[in-house]
Amino acid sequence: MTELSSNTSASLASNVGEKRGYWSRVGRDGRKLGKWFVAPTVALLIFIVIFPLLMQLYLSFTWWTPLDGVPWYQAYESFNWGENYLILAYDPAFWAALWRTAMIMLVAVPAQFFLGLGLAYLFIDKFPGRKVFYSIVLTPMMVVPAVVGLMFFLLFQGTGPVNDSLGLPASFSWLTDPNRALISVIIADTWQWTPLMFLILLAGMLGVPSDQLLAARLLGGSNWQNFYKIILPRMKSVIAIAIVLRLVECFKIFDLIFIMTSGGPGVATETISLFLYKKTFADLDWAYVGAVGLAVLIVLSLIAAFGLSRVAKNKG
Amino acid sequence: MVALLRPDEGSIVKTHKTRSVTIKRSFRSLAVKYALLLLACAVVMYPLFWMITMAFKPFDEWTTGSGLTWLPQNATLGNFEYLFYGQTEGLVVTLDRTIGGPLWASLVTSTCGTIIAVVAGTLSSYAVVRFNILPSLALSVLQLRLFPPLAVMIPVMVMWAFIGGVDTWWGLSLIYGIVTLPFAFWLMKTFFDEVPIEIEEAARVAGSSYWRVFYRITLPIVKPGLATCVLFVFILNWSDYLLALLLTQKEWVTLPVYMNTLNTALGEMYGMKAALGFIAAIPPIFLGLLIQKHLVRGLTFGALKQ
Amino acid sequence: MSSIQINNVTKRFGEFTAVSDLSIDIEDGEFVALLGPSGCGKTTTMNMIAGLEEATEGEILFNGQDLSHTPIQQRNIGFVFQNYAIFTHMTVYKNLSYGLEVNNVPKDQITSRVAAMAKRMNLTHCLDAPAASLSVNEMQKLAIGRSAIAEPRIFLLDEPLSNLDAGFRAYMRSELKVLQREFGQTMIYVTHDQIEAMSLADKIAIIDQGKLMQYGSPLEVYNNPCNRFVANFVGSPKINLLDGQIKGANGSTKLITQGGAEVALQGKISSDFAKLKSSKGGSIGIRPQDIYFGEKRASDDIQLHGYVEELERVGPKRLVHLQVHRTQIVAEDERDALSIGDEVEFFLTADKCMAFDLDSGDRLTGGAA
Repeated sequence: MTELSSNTSASLASNVGEKRGYWSRVGRDGRKLGKWFVAPTVALLIFIVIFPLLMQLYLSFTWWTPLDGVPWYQAYESFNWGENYLILAYDPAFWAALWRTAMIMLVAVPAQFFLGLGLAYLFIDKFPGRKVFYSIVLTPMMVVPAVVGLMFFLLFQGTGPVNDSLGLPASFSWLTDPNRALISVIIADTWQWTPLMFLILLAGMLGVPSDQLLAARLLGGSNWQNFYKIILPRMKSVIAIAIVLRLVECFKIFDLIFIMTSGGPGVATETISLFLYKKTFADLDWAYVGAVGLAVLIVLSLIAAFGLSRVAKNKG
Repeated sequence: MVALLRPDEGSIVKTHKTRSVTIKRSFRSLAVKYALLLLACAVVMYPLFWMITMAFKPFDEWTTGSGLTWLPQNATLGNFEYLFYGQTEGLVVTLDRTIGGPLWASLVTSTCGTIIAVVAGTLSSYAVVRFNILPSLALSVLQLRLFPPLAVMIPVMVMWAFIGGVDTWWGLSLIYGIVTLPFAFWLMKTFFDEVPIEIEEAARVAGSSYWRVFYRITLPIVKPGLATCVLFVFILNWSDYLLALLLTQKEWVTLPVYMNTLNTALGEMYGMKAALGFIAAIPPIFLGLLIQKHLVRGLTFGALKQ
Repeated sequence: MSSIQINNVTKRFGEFTAVSDLSIDIEDGEFVALLGPSGCGKTTTMNMIAGLEEATEGEILFNGQDLSHTPIQQRNIGFVFQNYAIFTHMTVYKNLSYGLEVNNVPKDQITSRVAAMAKRMNLTHCLDAPAASLSVNEMQKLAIGRSAIAEPRIFLLDEPLSNLDAGFRAYMRSELKVLQREFGQTMIYVTHDQIEAMSLADKIAIIDQGKLMQYGSPLEVYNNPCNRFVANFVGSPKINLLDGQIKGANGSTKLITQGGAEVALQGKISSDFAKLKSSKGGSIGIRPQDIYFGEKRASDDIQLHGYVEELERVGPKRLVHLQVHRTQIVAEDERDALSIGDEVEFFLTADKCMAFDLDSGDRLTGGAA
């Protein structure tokens, strides 16, 4: 097929004349044109993946920091046989940050899931005002995450409206109390990302054929029975997509926390990203950050590879 | 429904009616539904409302332990004035750096980043869909989204310093283009997947080159999708905070980064920050409304459509 | 089991009236077809019976009882969807048992009833298979079985045969008839296919543009259509309709077609047209099997002259397409002796001719004779 089309395009080109240059020949050859089409993306990927990964691997085996005044390519002078990884294994700050990240993921994502599911169920049929409510409910997800951080920073001030609405004194602090700071962050993240869950789950729910729902109703199933036995089982893959997507994004969480608490008070809201940020800019410990980053990367890749193989198996 | 067809004897209509019936609901369940919806809207609006009113509040209303008010008592544009002109009545401290620079920086870098992502994403997804070149590209591109940026930023910062890209418009645009490339790629891929190959083949048979088919036939067909993709990627770039924080210092600081630096000797500039947050929040909300029906597709990398 | 009375039901969607002032009485155990072209309101009528739509005006009574305030779940109505609405994520067994499970039928009863229904529907071999793996034909049976297992008070079928291939459709048609007799249930069947309706139903309700045109047994509807639409819609091959102006006084009337053919009318048909009031003209309906060739058999039979345009074989019969002054008439030819291009005399059996008002479409009968 490809051979045939390249033959005909070659003969066409020769018919028209020799004047055509390289580009007009590319335009008539699908595979060549395709190669040019992927070229920018491939170049960008190599530029941002292959080269930096090698550099990160290289730096992570040294004591290099930008303070030394030694250019990065001479970092081998302080080669340390992987001690950074050993430090990492016993770094309580790292494990604590990982644990806090996991906590946020384990509380925020389920909360977003159930709220989103309930909200989606309200939108499953038509009712007056549906479009308006839909748009309003989606709004939080469009707000710049840094601005969401600011909004909740303002809300949770001691003299802010949350304390005022709940009748709490100004001395009741949210962002400066270790436990409540974590709760505040989780609330803010849930506020922003429940709409995403809602959006995805609603798409899944609407994908359930309406005739089947009607049939279930006519057979006598109550709303709850039909939801549990007809709608939910059909949404399995959509639910998986939504949860995985949110878990990944939640693991990366930075902007919101950085602006609300900067990881504080102390390290009470220091997640992996904030931990890395602090190491990068406060301690300027770049080689160590490189090592932590690589470790995280490898673990995440393994999880992703495992997840993808599961998905592939399910489809097969 | 309205088209009343005359009987056509013998023809077998093989259609599936989509039955959109309005189920009769009791008044009570409808009331509960609306109550829940209004509650959801209230929760959504609560933080937004506070920030927006804060933006119009004068200095002495920002924080007061006593007599907290939801609406500004003496509504003022002073916070905005301060952001744009560097001073306002009642504030001694002047702002050396006004909003102009960051606003421009956000606009330029988001736009250029969007161009890079959309051009590269569109071309490569088309090549993957139609010419089946590097089918593995789809998954490799997706992996870019998996990792926390901070885990891989050290070499990027070193490289950007090395090539002189730190605190430049092109340096930030380049990284924006790269990190939003997966979205552009997958979004465009779903749109190209929907173009029937027969249309392209017909044009090919008529003697058009592959390039011409892509440029004259396919691209116009996916134009609405392309527009969606541009807006979507723009929103993502505009919403960035971390990359600008890492790769800019002064000249090309973007709005969110600038927002968090609005602290003076007087302490937190709540009103100004709120005003700035308000300005920064408007474009994505507005653009998001425009592409509402494709949001699911974009955010799930095409795994779901609505 | 139950009888259904539909009393003066009207359904509007905004400006659009889908069903207007519809009244049908369905007796217990009857098999009724709602027949009409697409968009005529038959599906809306069915949805209203099922409770999926609410009537704007009028009432629907089940055994004299109004269910409009009963939730759909408690109405116990069997409904077979056009695309079957099989729960494709469940097994065949789970599909069959769904209606029993949600109604809290005891476990052992469920097992035995599902087994019995599966046996009746020939689905026993695939009970544990995922429903998505069934063929269309099996899905059809599963859909009927799933509805039937809960012993609904009435059974509604929405174009259930339209997705089947031709062979299985014929089989399913007779199967449906058998099932209906076995279950002894009131069944309402929506279709646009008049052959299906004629062969299955005890009674046919013909609906056009939201209005009931005629309600009666298949034979009644066929032999005695009450208006031009019904005459035209029912019957295969189609009825011939000769439209034209009616001229002349009582006793010797003429119908002049647009093509200029003059048809002399005598006797009953002539007096039927005496009632014609509209100025648009009248129309004579005659079924192809009521046209004959050769010798005139009765004095009132209408004689026409035309030439053979086309011959068509339908099974054992041969249909002759005749052209009379640019008007086409299809006749059944028993003699098998014509060939294309022949000029021929033919006759319309007088007492089979029906007279219609071209304007209102109403059947004209009686008159002075």
